[in-house]
Amino acid sequence: MTTADLVVIVGGVAAIAWVNWYFFVASRRRDATVRHQ
Amino acid sequence: MTTTSPASWSDLTIPVHGMTCAACSARIQRVLERTPGVGAANVNLMTGAATVSYDPSSVTPDRLVEAIRRTGYGAELPAPDGSAESLVDAQDAARDDEIRDLRRKLILSLVAAVLTMVCSMPLAELVGHGVADPLMPLMMPLTDLLRRIAPWIGGISADTWRWLLLALTAPVVGWAGRHFYTRAWAAFRHHSADMNTLIAVGTGAAFAYSVAVTLADDWLSAHGIAPHVYYEAVVWIIALILLGNLLEAGAKSRTSGAIRRLVGLRPHTARVARDGMEVELPLGQLRPGDEVIVRPGEQIPADGTVVEGSSHVDESMLTGEPTPVRKRPGDTAVGATLNRNGALRVRVERVGADTVLSRIIRLVQQAQGSKAPIQRLADRISAVFVPVVISIAIATFVLWFVLGPEPAYLQALVAAVTVLIIACPCAMGLAVPTAVMVSTGRGAELGVLIKGGEPLERSERLDTVVFDKTGTVTEGRPAVQQVMGDDAASLLRFAASVERLSEHPLGEAIVAEAVARGLSLVAPQGFESRTGRGVAGRVDGRSVAAGNRALLAELGLSPGRFAAAAERLAAEALTPVYVVVDGSVAGVVAVADPIKPTGREAVAALRGMGIESVMLTGDNARTAASVAAAVGIERVVADVLPERKLEEIRRLQEAGRSVAMVGDGLNDAPALAQADVGISMGTGTDVAMEAGDITLMRGDPLGVPRAIRLARRTMRVIRQNLFWAFVYNVIGIPVAAGALYPAFGIRLTPAMAAAAMAVSSVSVVANSLRLRKSVKREA
Repeated sequence: MTTADLVVIVGGVAAIAWVNWYFFVASRRRDATVRHQ
Repeated sequence: MTTTSPASWSDLTIPVHGMTCAACSARIQRVLERTPGVGAANVNLMTGAATVSYDPSSVTPDRLVEAIRRTGYGAELPAPDGSAESLVDAQDAARDDEIRDLRRKLILSLVAAVLTMVCSMPLAELVGHGVADPLMPLMMPLTDLLRRIAPWIGGISADTWRWLLLALTAPVVGWAGRHFYTRAWAAFRHHSADMNTLIAVGTGAAFAYSVAVTLADDWLSAHGIAPHVYYEAVVWIIALILLGNLLEAGAKSRTSGAIRRLVGLRPHTARVARDGMEVELPLGQLRPGDEVIVRPGEQIPADGTVVEGSSHVDESMLTGEPTPVRKRPGDTAVGATLNRNGALRVRVERVGADTVLSRIIRLVQQAQGSKAPIQRLADRISAVFVPVVISIAIATFVLWFVLGPEPAYLQALVAAVTVLIIACPCAMGLAVPTAVMVSTGRGAELGVLIKGGEPLERSERLDTVVFDKTGTVTEGRPAVQQVMGDDAASLLRFAASVERLSEHPLGEAIVAEAVARGLSLVAPQGFESRTGRGVAGRVDGRSVAAGNRALLAELGLSPGRFAAAAERLAAEALTPVYVVVDGSVAGVVAVADPIKPTGREAVAALRGMGIESVMLTGDNARTAASVAAAVGIERVVADVLPERKLEEIRRLQEAGRSVAMVGDGLNDAPALAQADVGISMGTGTDVAMEAGDITLMRGDPLGVPRAIRLARRTMRVIRQNLFWAFVYNVIGIPVAAGALYPAFGIRLTPAMAAAAMAVSSVSVVANSLRLRKSVKREA
């Protein structure tokens, strides 16, 4: 496994985590805030 | 969020265009709901309309339109008269604009797609294929032809080809496909994602990579990276998705044909009598109180009352009833119906949004936009689908990069883009609403108004249909057949006088008979209506009551010498009305209500569908049994007071039955509400459309099996649509990710994915339209 492979794997995992956080966790938080207002 | 009381809210329906999937409508709805001053919002993907309940002191209609436009979709203020017809016109105009716009964009994209493919061939020969698209060999003859015509093209450098490809692709990305990117960005800012996100990320990644290669080809070559570009994939994806959108918009427009036909019924002008003159005015200028002249062969312009003239009016366009209805002064006239043979003068009472036609259109529109419970499954999946697909695409990129053949980064990019493109969830979003729209529209054409997806879904499961007798199995227009008593004329006069204030059909029949015999009736004193039993009052100073056995029991009386005669009448399907004068039974008036001719056929059709018919009536057991036998109903529950009808329905439900109640829509309202499906029978255009889940405009019992059959077929089509939409993704995504590559060497390209996606959406809409034809054949 090359360094490029490792970078892509780590980057990929981070990207997947961010996508799921942004669309599921952050969006829910935002909805809750709007409802509160 | 506003805290204003609901009483001060206004409702507004705004035409919206550019929505392509359930996520689009969901996002606009969310944005509207978050707008200050908005109480509730409902955005309808299929009808292209947003219905907003808002506080006019906090927010203006312009701001609501602006809020929708900020999400990347088109919206206009609705027509000022607020009628359903104007809204449909506006939606049609918006849809036509959208189709024209899509067509222009598609033509540019297709031309650019062919040219990019032709230009990519010589470039591929210069720098190699990278990941070849199977569409490329199809363009080989064109490229060869070009070489023969212009042999000098062989001398063009790879760099020039790349810049030429960029010049061809830029207008497609920047103009034809621009809305994918603007809408994806608007969605992203709201933490949501839809099909535009997948298209934007997929084509955006391929385009950005290609531009980088074009700008830095020397640097990439120097670092051992072959400078391959994927402009043709970007253009083909956009062209094929636009093609799918155009086909889908055309098909969706056909699904709303029923509404358009209803709107097409209304006349455009009215001949109004003013100051002794006849003036022809546009319909929009007609006001309540105006008197209009309707000549033979013309349509009645609005709802009102006939004040002069006599004619037959064809109401079939609204009720499905083929026989023209006689109209005389005092009768109601309904807008859009056709005056046949005589001139009428009609005083206008309702115009614009208040007319029967407008109410029907609004009801059908609401039904077409309503969500079936099965839709929630598709919505739940759509809500998480796009982020999950993006995650799968990233994982695909990583796996191809680490494990794939060389050039690995290119293979990875192509596989990831293919996953994003094939997974566009259009088919899933269209699966349920297209079917609901086609079937409710078709139902309206057949005189069966179904109030949306939920009643459709509940109708599918029915195993018991409870018919109310009067007005449902029978015509509801009873007539006196016999009067039994020592002094028939006097008896009828007493009975008719006390029934004068009654609204019961039996009472009306007795009054009509007395009037026909020329008897002079008097106003009763101390009139009292005893629901489900009869009436009582004082006539000429004498105590008079008229009603059924329950009334006699309440008064502590027995039929006495009329018992045998009453039994005989009941056995002949006649209803005996006992007349009590001064505390003793003075006679019996026998009333018969003719049985509807299609009653037997309807019950047989229901039996054929595995549905048991039950008759529920307040009438006596003998009469009820006789009517039931005539139409083939085996189970009869007689002597039921109106308030107990609800309990009977509940009892059947507790026994595990799924029950439909068929009633006249007014006095059966509690039972209709209790039943799993309430079916109200309309009589002509005087129809209580809000009473049940389903309204039979024609009052024909055959409408009951027809509605249930329509519901069953709709649900079958919905299941097929959902199945194929899921199967398409379940198979398509792994194949696009390269699941078949290790074993078989099979993989898809982004252009193939775009074509598959377009086919899946169009096939779902086509399947729903097929439902319309299958019901048509049978109807």
